[in-house]
Amino acid sequence: MTFLIASQLLNGLATGMLYALVGVGLTLVLGMLNIPNFAHGGLYAFGAYFTYTVVNLTGSFYIAVLIGPLLVILVAFLIESQGVRRLYAAHHDYQLLFLFAMALILQEAIILIWGPVGFSVLTPKALAGVVDLGFTVYPAYRLALIGITVLITVALWLFLTRTNVGAIVRAGMENREMVAVLGTDINRVFMWTFALGAYLAGLAGALATPIMGLTPSMGADMLPISFVIVVIAGLGSILGAIASGILIGIAQSMTTIWWPEASNIAIYVLMGLTIILRPQGLFGTR
Amino acid sequence: MTTGLECISVSKHFGAVKAVNDVSFEVPPGALHTVIGPNGAGKTTLFNCITSELKPTSGEVRFEGHVISGRKTHELPVFGVARSFQRTSIFSNLTVAQNVWVSAFRAFAGTRVEVLRPADAHPEVTETIYQTLEEVGLDRYANSPATELAHGDQRLLDFAIALAPKPKLLLLDEPTAGLSRSDTQRVMHLIESLKGRYTIVLIEHKMDVVMRISDRITVMYFGEVLAEGTPQEIRANPKVREAYLGRRA
Amino acid sequence: MQKLFSLPSLIVIALLIVGLPFVQRPVVAAEVLTLGIAAVATNLLLGYTGMLSFGQALFFGVGAYCAGVLATKYGISAFLAIPVAMLFSAVIAFLIGLVCVRRSGLYFIMITFAFNQMVFFIAYSWTTMTGGEDGLPGVRRPPLIDDQWSFYIFTVLVFICALCVMKLFVNSPTGRILQAIRDNPGRAAATGHDVGRYKLIAFVMAGMFTGLAGAIFAFVFGIVPIDKVDWRFSGDIVFMTLLGGSGSFIGPVIGAAFYTWLQETVSHYWDRWPMILGIVFALVVLFFRTGVAGMAEVLTGKLTQKGAGAKPKEMEAGS
Repeated sequence: MTFLIASQLLNGLATGMLYALVGVGLTLVLGMLNIPNFAHGGLYAFGAYFTYTVVNLTGSFYIAVLIGPLLVILVAFLIESQGVRRLYAAHHDYQLLFLFAMALILQEAIILIWGPVGFSVLTPKALAGVVDLGFTVYPAYRLALIGITVLITVALWLFLTRTNVGAIVRAGMENREMVAVLGTDINRVFMWTFALGAYLAGLAGALATPIMGLTPSMGADMLPISFVIVVIAGLGSILGAIASGILIGIAQSMTTIWWPEASNIAIYVLMGLTIILRPQGLFGTR
Repeated sequence: MTTGLECISVSKHFGAVKAVNDVSFEVPPGALHTVIGPNGAGKTTLFNCITSELKPTSGEVRFEGHVISGRKTHELPVFGVARSFQRTSIFSNLTVAQNVWVSAFRAFAGTRVEVLRPADAHPEVTETIYQTLEEVGLDRYANSPATELAHGDQRLLDFAIALAPKPKLLLLDEPTAGLSRSDTQRVMHLIESLKGRYTIVLIEHKMDVVMRISDRITVMYFGEVLAEGTPQEIRANPKVREAYLGRRA
Repeated sequence: MQKLFSLPSLIVIALLIVGLPFVQRPVVAAEVLTLGIAAVATNLLLGYTGMLSFGQALFFGVGAYCAGVLATKYGISAFLAIPVAMLFSAVIAFLIGLVCVRRSGLYFIMITFAFNQMVFFIAYSWTTMTGGEDGLPGVRRPPLIDDQWSFYIFTVLVFICALCVMKLFVNSPTGRILQAIRDNPGRAAATGHDVGRYKLIAFVMAGMFTGLAGAIFAFVFGIVPIDKVDWRFSGDIVFMTLLGGSGSFIGPVIGAAFYTWLQETVSHYWDRWPMILGIVFALVVLFFRTGVAGMAEVLTGKLTQKGAGAKPKEMEAGS
């Protein structure tokens, strides 16, 4: 039993870290635009699919994980410049609906380009085995995943809190009018924040491929979970998104041990309860 | 015996900031009372406490003996309280008549929810609407979209919405703000015509307006009452001159 | 006695009702009318009250599953199952609305989305009741309306009744107060209206009639598919409304017709028809926000005052 619990805990941590990346990406855009990015799931999926293609082209998973998410940034630039930016003057509900339309288009584009059947990506050889942790034996890739995502999260945190650019991004999330008044080109800040959010989603998608495989609907499956993460975290809280992502990942994997069907409903009940009882989320300040 | 508006030791603190500190005054029925003061004096915060947009940290506001502070915004009309807005606040997709309907209907039907009859099925409401529009001089625009009105006319529409329910207390937030000279005159004539029939509390910056129409004036300064009195008393008050009247309003 | 519908609206409705079953199979024409009811109902929230909800599929699904379960598991006739499902949807809308309607726009979107997902996963997991992923099959129509044409006439009658009731609603004092709330909630409250209570009324009306639409839908194809409870269908309903024109009462029906045409006809030629849907949606949001109805009004140079406002309008900043 301890073996099962321990390995499920680690599984939850691994998926939780992926959720954290996705959640932080969504939080950045949410803070900036004040709307949930319905295309976020699609960007996650594109990260995975770009990675798949690069792996097939180069044979290297590491190169793919590096390049894949960068390609997602290109997609994000397209979406932002052609659509979202045009709608800044309009009511922000329209931006939301545009991104919803993009979610549809992105999913169909995946099927058009890569076909409707799912794929799998092999774990890179160096990380293919298992590691003996003493209390349990555990897949090496998932351990590496945890390690890498922790590093990325720390780097992101340092960027946002220790650099000037990061400060501008955080300021823009709090009060964009003020930032614009202070002379910063707020449109460029938006564009790059949107790109960063997309990058994180794409990176999560890339890293997830050996564990979860690829299907065209993976974006639509991830999106609701990313919404739950940011709501429970508190709309606008980056630390909260990290913590909340991990929480949800572990909650899901642990519930699977005892009551598999409940794990899905449970997170939405949690989301609903948070909105009702503590709308600012566990960590939020709004 | 009817009392009018009573502000009783109203304070509003935001953390350490005492935006309004222990402000009191009384307005007898039918009188017009103006609150003035430099920017940041706390007039707007005080006004928001009276209109129930903010809940006072301490103290209370009473009208005709009923406590009106700390209530939900939509409860105030029950006590005969109506307000206008500094930045014209109307219903942009409705016609002028429909705008006035919103408050006139509420006065007529109370909280009753009607779902079957047409909105304009009550002749008494229609009568009230047209009376009110005549009073403010907008009756010929009754069926025009509200957004087609000139700036000054939209402000008059704002007042019409407040007047239609025949309230007892009128709270006017800088009624002439942003208006041209001629529109300011129109608004002032309207307010003067309302004197005596309504109890009125005004926030205003334009000194000539204030001096001409007020029965009494409260001068605020850094959240506190600096002076209170008739226009003549205030004009002569050295503290007020020093703090405020020395500068052009 | 005032006219309920303007002449152009009546013409559109008449053309639709008479023309549809010849452009499509009668059963698909029935589907159009069903989705039309849902879109008009959703517009009560969106165009009239200014509330963007991402949970309308919840009510469509609740209505559909309720009617479907009553018919398949308890043998109850459609003539009873549909009204019961509609009532049930109203109750659910009331309960959910109590929690949702006072929230601001962003939270309102997120919470309606959350409830939608909850109901989706309940439908997905409760396989004994709902059939889970495969949907609920075997929903039989009563013998009286079993063939295509009689069922279509039945749907037309329900459609007309539903539209009349909803039109009476938007023409009523409550309808106008909702529009005032959409335009300026602060002023509406200052004049004495309990904004939260009115929003709840709008939410229940929208949920109830969307539930009615779902209930009829169950009998259209005899199956309740699970994708009609999915969050993406919530977005589709909103887009039907927008596409047809949220500034008009019957505009949304046009959006529903277009959506169904894409789904039923174009899908035969191209599997990727949702791509077209997405592109059309994007174009509507970017360039044609007043929808088909809005464009029609501009083309005919008319600025009539229908219930939805004095001129073709985009969604107001009510949320």
